[in-house]
Amino acid sequence: MTNAVDIRSISRSFGRTRALEDITLSVPDGSICGLFGRNGAGKTTIMSILAGQDRPTSGNAKVFGEHPFENSSTLSKISFVRDNQRYPDDYRLHHVLRIAPRFAPNWSVDVAAELVDGLRIPAKIPIKKFSRGQLSSIAIVMGLASRAPLTLLDEPYLGLDITARALFHDLLLRDYSAHPRTVILSTHLIEESEALFDRVIIIDRGRVRVDCERDEASNLAFTISGPADAVDKLSTNRRVLLTHAAGGLRSATITGEASDELVLQARTLGATISSASLPELVAAYGADAPESTLIKKGARA
Amino acid sequence: MSAVVSTVRLHLNRRAATFIVPLTIAGTVALISVLIALIFWRSGSQPGSEGWIYGSQSNPGIVYALLGFLGYLGVSTVATTFPFALTLGATRRAFVAGTLIWDAMMAAYIAVIFAILTAIEIATNHWFVGFYIFDIYVLGGADMPRLLLIVFLGVLTTLTIGGVFAAGWVRFGALGPQLIAVGVVLALAIAAITLVPQAAAIATAFQLWWLAAASVTVIILAAIGTWLLLRPAIVR
Amino acid sequence: MFTNEGPIFQQLAAMIADGIVNGTYLEETAVPSATDFAAFHRMNPATASKGVNTLVDLGVLYKKRGVGMFVASGAREILRAQRRDEFRKKYLQPLLRETAVLGITTGKLHSMIDDEGQDPR
Repeated sequence: MTNAVDIRSISRSFGRTRALEDITLSVPDGSICGLFGRNGAGKTTIMSILAGQDRPTSGNAKVFGEHPFENSSTLSKISFVRDNQRYPDDYRLHHVLRIAPRFAPNWSVDVAAELVDGLRIPAKIPIKKFSRGQLSSIAIVMGLASRAPLTLLDEPYLGLDITARALFHDLLLRDYSAHPRTVILSTHLIEESEALFDRVIIIDRGRVRVDCERDEASNLAFTISGPADAVDKLSTNRRVLLTHAAGGLRSATITGEASDELVLQARTLGATISSASLPELVAAYGADAPESTLIKKGARA
Repeated sequence: MSAVVSTVRLHLNRRAATFIVPLTIAGTVALISVLIALIFWRSGSQPGSEGWIYGSQSNPGIVYALLGFLGYLGVSTVATTFPFALTLGATRRAFVAGTLIWDAMMAAYIAVIFAILTAIEIATNHWFVGFYIFDIYVLGGADMPRLLLIVFLGVLTTLTIGGVFAAGWVRFGALGPQLIAVGVVLALAIAAITLVPQAAAIATAFQLWWLAAASVTVIILAAIGTWLLLRPAIVR
Repeated sequence: MFTNEGPIFQQLAAMIADGIVNGTYLEETAVPSATDFAAFHRMNPATASKGVNTLVDLGVLYKKRGVGMFVASGAREILRAQRRDEFRKKYLQPLLRETAVLGITTGKLHSMIDDEGQDPR
């Protein structure tokens, strides 16, 4: 399978801030990939570089085998609307619907019309006065109607009500099935969207922490919870991403897969083990646990 | 090439700002000029008298009114349209080229409007009552080729200057336009310092085409500046 | 819709299998396509295909060219046999663990099962 996106050790600095540090990842053609991480983790910067709106300080990023920066034919295959997109002065909905097809060779008038209708985007209000949800809606129209071979959706749900989110999911899947493309979607609403993805990327502080198939993600970490000393004992010498404690209770999210032996051991100590869900995994990698949080309490007897 | 055409279309997409606002501004200014003329009339000045003609032909109200709007238009075509153009998938190259073409189209459009209105003004013997709105000294005093050239170059200069300041803003934030302004002031100061000793000689030798040459130079410099500023610009 | 336990494609396969075992999808009748499942459950189409194909590999579903996906004859029995194997691990073992915790003797458990079976429901 060919890759839609190939990123080879890119870094991006803004002044003294390191936004991306040595990122290497690829997204296969036809994938719907979730991009997760905390605010400021570097999600938008990655998308911005892929869309040719920004350039890495070092390394290189290719889309369909080409550098996107100033590359007209590659750019016509990419759709990326930023979460804080600016529009020309005095723009209204019809301005966007009139000009976007000129730049998007696969533009679907029907998809645009269905979304405008379903998301109830106002035609008469200037875009400058749009609410957060309305801005997200118009970005979704551009993202889905363009049917771009690489569609980058940056926080498409911001401010959207639940009906609108369901409509977005339905249309994305329906149109994807009829016109397959590669989608990278970043969001904080992981639980609601996780079934959409076949790939998962988690970044934190400009670094890739997880990059795998969706199904593999359930084996990446597990959570032990129960009495504090039992949890401490069970997590000894393991890489703890995140702990949570209240009273005598404690839970620890640990990388790797729990062995049957560990599950049995937990049971005898009165603790339970479950595999970490995707939201738990993202939260764990975003927690302030430094890389060295390897609990070492000396060798166990 | 089609990418450049698309950018021109992107600018033309603001139909009201492009086609209608210049007309309404010209109309509004004409109306105001008429009102002012009426006040003079009521206060005793006689339409058709030499003083009247001289006074109204020296009034460049229409020019000031349009310059403000064109300056804004020049700024906004770059400042807010550039990020959107990148989002649509335009290259910076195509954007700068397309913007320049659109600037020229705009200049030609306004020049033609002015020519038509001037022709009407003259054909109606200055709107039947001797009002001078377009037949004024700064616009060449009803000399058609001269009027077309003055309006075309004037509009183009204003738009491209607005564009280069906006490009400075896109590239460097609030600091950008300030840097450009400082640079321009410095350049003018140095020019003045070197040329002042020969000021008298220059004044006597002054030819009107010098102004045209100067505005063409400014247009070229502004266009190059816009390109240099936008080429590495990123959107955040 | 989907839980945290196990890959989503397996959960979809289990859902379809449930439908076959309990008679929602009869043998030699059509089941919804992977695209339909994807749209209905708002899930990734590739994941849905993977789930459906798991059942194809088991011989439970088969593809009729140009028509769609059908339940194979004998599918119900295949799945029931598979589930009988799982029954011990999935139900019996947890049951026995819980009876141990609650102090229910084997004899008592037997009579509880007998009572439950007689319950006219």
